[in-house]
Amino acid sequence: MQNPFHIDPQQAFNEIAVFQRKLAAGLQNLRGLGEQDYANTPREAVYREDKLTVWHMKGNHKPTARVPVLVVYALVNTVWMTDLQEDRSLVRNLLEQGEDVYLIDWGYPDGADRWLTLDDYLNGYLDRAVDAVRQHHDLDAINLLGICQGGTFSLCYTAMHPEKVKNLVTMVTPVDFRTPDNMLSHWVQSMDVDLFVDTLGNIPAELMNWVYLMLKPLRLNQQKYVSLVDILDNPQELKNFLRMERWIFDSPDQAGEAFREFIKEFFQQNKLIQGDLQIGKQPVDLGMVTQPVLNIYATQDHLVPPDASRALQRHVGTTDYTEVAFKGGHIGIYVSGRAQREVAPAIHQWLRSRS
Amino acid sequence: MPDQANDFMKDYQAFAQQSWDAWMRYLQQQQPGQPNPFGMGMMGMGAAAMPQEDLLTRSLASLKAYGNWLQQAATGAALGQQTHPWQQPAAMQSFLSAFTQPFQQTVAGIDSASAFGMEHQWQSWLQAMQQAGMAAGMPTSQVATFGITREFQLDQQALQAAMQEYTQISARYQALLQKVNAQGISKLQEMLGQPGKQVESLKAMYDLWVDAMEDAYAEMALSQEYRDVFGALVNAQMQVRKLQQQHTEQMCRELGIPTRSEVNSLGKRVQQLRRELKERGQVEATTDTSLVDTLHAEIATLKRELAASKAAKVHPIERPAKGGNSKTPSQRTKATRSAAGKRK
Repeated sequence: MQNPFHIDPQQAFNEIAVFQRKLAAGLQNLRGLGEQDYANTPREAVYREDKLTVWHMKGNHKPTARVPVLVVYALVNTVWMTDLQEDRSLVRNLLEQGEDVYLIDWGYPDGADRWLTLDDYLNGYLDRAVDAVRQHHDLDAINLLGICQGGTFSLCYTAMHPEKVKNLVTMVTPVDFRTPDNMLSHWVQSMDVDLFVDTLGNIPAELMNWVYLMLKPLRLNQQKYVSLVDILDNPQELKNFLRMERWIFDSPDQAGEAFREFIKEFFQQNKLIQGDLQIGKQPVDLGMVTQPVLNIYATQDHLVPPDASRALQRHVGTTDYTEVAFKGGHIGIYVSGRAQREVAPAIHQWLRSRS
Repeated sequence: MPDQANDFMKDYQAFAQQSWDAWMRYLQQQQPGQPNPFGMGMMGMGAAAMPQEDLLTRSLASLKAYGNWLQQAATGAALGQQTHPWQQPAAMQSFLSAFTQPFQQTVAGIDSASAFGMEHQWQSWLQAMQQAGMAAGMPTSQVATFGITREFQLDQQALQAAMQEYTQISARYQALLQKVNAQGISKLQEMLGQPGKQVESLKAMYDLWVDAMEDAYAEMALSQEYRDVFGALVNAQMQVRKLQQQHTEQMCRELGIPTRSEVNSLGKRVQQLRRELKERGQVEATTDTSLVDTLHAEIATLKRELAASKAAKVHPIERPAKGGNSKTPSQRTKATRSAAGKRK
């Protein structure tokens, strides 16, 4: 066998010395940086209820789109991934394109929210948020843009309240929760979710973060921080890194009952595509979604595998279905340079041709 | 040559220590409340409850693990130059096995961060029991219970059994991670054995090692065995916590302190009331809407009639045709009154 390892001790020593030097020099840059801001796009609260806020995002120009788009984010993490910083912002890019953008900020559940169900979230909060935007614009129906679990919620909502949704955009949205490469789904199959929720009540954010880190333990817990040393001497990149860290760990707890239902009905029983899902008293049938649908998925998504999203085409009722594959991951689809160039224009073009 | 390798190791260790000390000094100088750039959570346990220094130490585990990795890789490289182990598969295996430890440190480190919370809780629990003079009399799960403390003994037995089960399943989980180690090393060996493969730096070697380990881990994490053990581990941990909660609640009840069950019960009722209120509000809104709709319809009808009436008023009076059968003026008046009556 040939020797693939061409490093002599002196070379190894030099490499470690460089690493050490970068580390020492970078420490001063890390000091005093403090908390990095995100969500800098100007905004105005147009609806509040309990911990939920609907934000109307303000661009530099008046929107040209007649029908506004309401962004429905997941209950895990926060919606500010869509507006992380000025040059990495789906929201800003959509505003620049002329869209009129609203965001749902679910807030941070506490003990008072322990008993919120999916019915409370979808037929309660989400429905009233949609009504608020509709009334603001005096429209019967608006556009929805659902992200990840928020995409799943948007699909369910559209199936239950079709008259209030004009066009539906889903991004990195799980539809088939039992694809073989879905690690999260695999892990929860043998879990006693009743015991889990009955014991924990609301699901702590730290636990959610732990699970996500365990999807790629070495990359997310070690390699990422090793790479950090390479950017310690670059204040701007360091700020970007810290901002992303803030977002990753700025997680809300999960309301216990809603979590129980979501794990059981979606992850374990895959009812969204089995066709026997019910939210509250209302049946949810994807066949009822006859609005135009734009489904954007990420080809390297380790949280929502592409097949989990692509399944939508087989189950949705619309005849106007468009699928866009984004070359990147679950987070890169919002913050990468490619995303800034490709995602918002694709959404805008699609919406504009259906306005 | 051996001296050169030894000197190198001494220098490296000095560097590694210096680096680690620098990080610790830096982070220990942080003011309380300042954000920790490496904020890592623990499995359901409040990080705030941990001592600050301990939290920082654990937060930096990743860099320390990388430091250990570099040390092992550099040692392997130094030895490789001396003994040319690549000609001997067994020697190569021995070299690669040096990389097992860092993987365990990282993966088990994440796990022990979460498990630490559990064990920490258990230790506190056992200490509290000892202080209360209960540990000495703690029965094993095999012993029959009787007497005035029978119920208490039963609870303790259940808790003991749950802790035992958790410990056993945790060992199975650790064994799976150990398997990942072995499979990852094997994958790394395959990668290094690819024709023309050249590794030019420690960092390149590290990245390759990460690729191999993550591939092995992904295969394991998607296996039926992992799914079963992971599920069992979560369930066992929840069982322990549930029994601990029950025991705590019992003590709280005896002391007259509100329990979580009571708070849950209240929360559930409040949420149900809120739903009913909202539903009632919707029904009332719907009723209001239907009333408004009825009134709108009535107004529309009246408007039509009014318009018809006006049209009738301005209609030119037709002269009776010769021998015609037109209405008399008195008849027209009646018709107008009749329309007016409807408006009432």
